[in-house]
Amino acid sequence: MKLEPIVYGDRKVYTVAAFNRGIAQWLQRLPTIWVEGEVTELRRQAGWQTVFFTLKDPETGACLSAAMPRGQFDALRLELANGERVHVYGRPELWTQKGELRLRALSIERFGIGEHLAALERLKAKLAAEGLFADGRKRPLPRLPRRIGLVTGNDAAAKRDVLTAVQARFPPARVVVAETLVQGSRAAAAMVAALASVAAEPEVDVIVLARGGGGFEDLLPFSEERLVRAVAGCPVPVVTAVGHEQDTPLCDLAADRRASTPTAAGRLVVPDLDELIADLGRSRDALARGARRVLERHSQRLGRARERLAHAPALLLERRRAALAQTAGRLNALSPRATLERGYAIVRREGELVRSAARVASGDAIAVEVADGSFGARVE
Amino acid sequence: MTYEEAEKELTQIVERLERGDAGLDEALKLWERGEELYRFCTAQLEAAEGKIEELSKRASDAGTTR
Repeated sequence: MKLEPIVYGDRKVYTVAAFNRGIAQWLQRLPTIWVEGEVTELRRQAGWQTVFFTLKDPETGACLSAAMPRGQFDALRLELANGERVHVYGRPELWTQKGELRLRALSIERFGIGEHLAALERLKAKLAAEGLFADGRKRPLPRLPRRIGLVTGNDAAAKRDVLTAVQARFPPARVVVAETLVQGSRAAAAMVAALASVAAEPEVDVIVLARGGGGFEDLLPFSEERLVRAVAGCPVPVVTAVGHEQDTPLCDLAADRRASTPTAAGRLVVPDLDELIADLGRSRDALARGARRVLERHSQRLGRARERLAHAPALLLERRRAALAQTAGRLNALSPRATLERGYAIVRREGELVRSAARVASGDAIAVEVADGSFGARVE
Repeated sequence: MTYEEAEKELTQIVERLERGDAGLDEALKLWERGEELYRFCTAQLEAAEGKIEELSKRASDAGTTR
């Protein structure tokens, strides 16, 4: 088909449609060739006659749109998934309505596992060897963070889920949010910066890095080395809530805690306020009880001491009495009374003891003392 | 002092008092300190006001975000 330009004086001008058509015709002259790349953004929908996907160059990220009639695609029975490396046999064509170049696929062959997966495995092994994922590096989360950092994309869901969970459990929570890119080639750098800016905020004691789901491709920034290192090196504990069970992004392995969903992450970082208040009340009761117990113990000890003190004088008296009785016994043993009781008598003359017969003369009055009394007598 | 530190010290004081072997002076001091910690923790909970702050978005963040 010949393309006729419109002529304005000395200028030949083509309409957009004519231009596109011309390019399309020219492209048809190119040979049919094989192209290697990773399948991403695979769209195979029930109502559509054509299956669309993007071929991505794993090294440079260069992309090429591709399309294949749905019947042909299904007949290949490849059950392709995003991230798989393929060889596509086809030729370039221009979608004239949009002026977009794409590869018209005539055949597709699977070609090994995605380079991304292999690269991820290599990075994972390297970081694991460095000990970045070691259990010993995991820090405990604070029981009650003064402020919580939240790094998330600006999608409503992940952010809202974290905030809702946090506020439901602990209404007085203070959260500082940094929205950032979480997808695309600049996402990792942006997240590293957001993480640093939140960590630099005063009183931030824990950080949540959340993203609400996404395909394998979408989660790749969360496995980039610089983000993984930033998570591991963050000055405060990091909780990640990214991705799915099957493809664990590497930042999950480096995080101090991994949550399955943004909601779970929110619950992890704050205590339950009601429980906290109940705990405090119990502590206070125990405190009072403990203090009372010590007081009672001391009071009992004091009581016993007082009792012993009260008994002390009587005890002393008893002891004295016994000592006195003993002394009295000894005194008694020495007294002449016992001698008198054996029949001896004491004789006095004018009050003086008579120790010799020569001391008395006939007619002298003497006093005689015997055991049970005394009487007077006269010497003959 | 953080809430966590206060709560931990309070727990230790309670345990010490519950053993019952503290001296009288010590027990009274412990109890006073415990009450102080309890008031601190309660005040922390009551004073905190829920707050969501947005860090100003950086210019480099413009673009497709999700």
